[in-house]
Amino acid sequence: MLEFFLALLTTVTVGALLVPLLRASARRTERLDGELAIYRDQLAEIERARADGTTPESEAAAARIEVERRILAAANAAPEKIETASAPTESSTLHRFLPPALALLIPLLALGVYLNVGRPGLPAAPFGTRPAMDHPNPNEPMTAERLLAQARARLAEAPNDPDALSALGEALTLEADGTVTAPAIEAFNKSLALRPDDARAHYYLGLHEAQSGDSRAALERWQALEAKSPPDAPWLAMLRAEIARVSKAAGLPVPPAQSAMPQPSREQQEAMQNLAPEQRQQAIRGMVEGLDARMKDSPDDRAGWLRLANAWRVLGENAKAVDAYARADALAPLDTRTLTDWAEAHVRQIAPGAPPPPAAVAVLERLEKAEPRNALALFYLGAASFASGDKAAALRRWRTLLALLPADAPIRAMLEERIKAAE
Amino acid sequence: MNRRLLFILPLLTLALMAGFFAWSLLAGRDPASIGSVLVGRPAPRLEVKALREGEPPLTDALLKTGKPAIVNFFASWCTPCLAEHPLFTRLAQREGAVIIGVAWKNKPAEANAWLKRLGDPYKFAGADVEGRTGLDWGLSGVPETYLVDGQGIVRRHFRGPITERDVNETILPFLKGAK
Repeated sequence: MLEFFLALLTTVTVGALLVPLLRASARRTERLDGELAIYRDQLAEIERARADGTTPESEAAAARIEVERRILAAANAAPEKIETASAPTESSTLHRFLPPALALLIPLLALGVYLNVGRPGLPAAPFGTRPAMDHPNPNEPMTAERLLAQARARLAEAPNDPDALSALGEALTLEADGTVTAPAIEAFNKSLALRPDDARAHYYLGLHEAQSGDSRAALERWQALEAKSPPDAPWLAMLRAEIARVSKAAGLPVPPAQSAMPQPSREQQEAMQNLAPEQRQQAIRGMVEGLDARMKDSPDDRAGWLRLANAWRVLGENAKAVDAYARADALAPLDTRTLTDWAEAHVRQIAPGAPPPPAAVAVLERLEKAEPRNALALFYLGAASFASGDKAAALRRWRTLLALLPADAPIRAMLEERIKAAE
Repeated sequence: MNRRLLFILPLLTLALMAGFFAWSLLAGRDPASIGSVLVGRPAPRLEVKALREGEPPLTDALLKTGKPAIVNFFASWCTPCLAEHPLFTRLAQREGAVIIGVAWKNKPAEANAWLKRLGDPYKFAGADVEGRTGLDWGLSGVPETYLVDGQGIVRRHFRGPITERDVNETILPFLKGAK
């Protein structure tokens, strides 16, 4: 349908340009011819009137002379016209070539621009359907009002509960569309006085510092929070995203993720500050290897395996990370977030375009079961299905993924190509 | 032949306009900036009734105390005002700046509720319900912020919300320098 309209539009444009061009050569002599015809009629009428006797001979002669003078004037006024009409010049060759040239160039230009800029596969984003994506669970909207009421109810029971105080601050912030307000700051400060390491209070106070124009203080606070957070803390991903966002907005370098590494002591940290980047990398690697060696002595330490797996993953040692995740998983099944990391460590080892190996597929399938809309699982399991000849399953997964992707996701084009190849 | 020259006229106009647009784009001029005639001149008359109940109305005397003041026009219905609000909170609390807030075309009850919810950084707050004072101050909308030195001369006029950069690079040096 869209293509039809585009074609129609191009045709109309070309037509609008061509019609006057084709007509111009025809009209060129028309005007003079028309004038002459009128004068001819007038002369005939004068002659008729003279023959009838209604006009005296002398008046008829004067009228004829007048008309003849006008004929001469009209011919003089259009000397160019007569010239061009009688002798073809360069302008008429132009007129011969311009219409076909335009008829070809305009559609070609339109096509070229469209192929460069246009995105025919882009799904429509009608206004009415968007809010539904923002609230995946319409039955239980987490409105600021409800959170606020919950926090106030909790505080009424236990006025000195730091968790409830932080929840109140959070609700107040949400109520103000994400601006950390003065009453919220008060709640967070009270919460910190009761529990100095409350992560939520630190996070939002940092956010306030960022909003009030002190990005450096915010980043310092957040990095301290990140360093103190356990490696599987649920807020880490968001915290890192915020650190990156605020650093970028303030024009500061984005600090590297902190708590993925085993935490070195202050002396070790200071010693590392003085090292060159390669040496520092070496020192970090040495510490992770130390952890790896220690894990051999305490193979039942699940948190230790997870920390090691995460460290290897961050260092890019994906094969070692995969093994460490498997050890932790054997002690107790991993949660969805860690499953994602495990699967990521698996798929990073895959050559581009190659299907995932059976071990990776097993992890990805568990991930898909835990989280049916996980993009990583959908993409690579689709590739596995495609490789094993199950094109229907591959298409189902990739199409689901395509529908989930934001309109400007960079892998969209590649995914569309794969879907086309599978069809 | 002269008639033909006439047809060049629209082309000439087009070329002139294209030249102007190219210059506007490339000269680094901010097309959104409409400048301000107030900078370097005495601040316009400040005469508004107080926003908070029981306070005396705001007068010109507040701008000639010998200490610099920040005059901020805001409204509870204005989203950019929400974004710049924490910056004023910080300026008031940490830098001890004198900030005069004027709620522009805003019902006092709504403006007060807004300040109660967000916190009130304004040492003096006025209510310009009709927008007359805003007219005197050459306001194009809210938020707008004026830096007024101790002698009542406008030193800087921000149209639109102030940002972290404005605070660090302009407002803080102004507060220190004018003291």
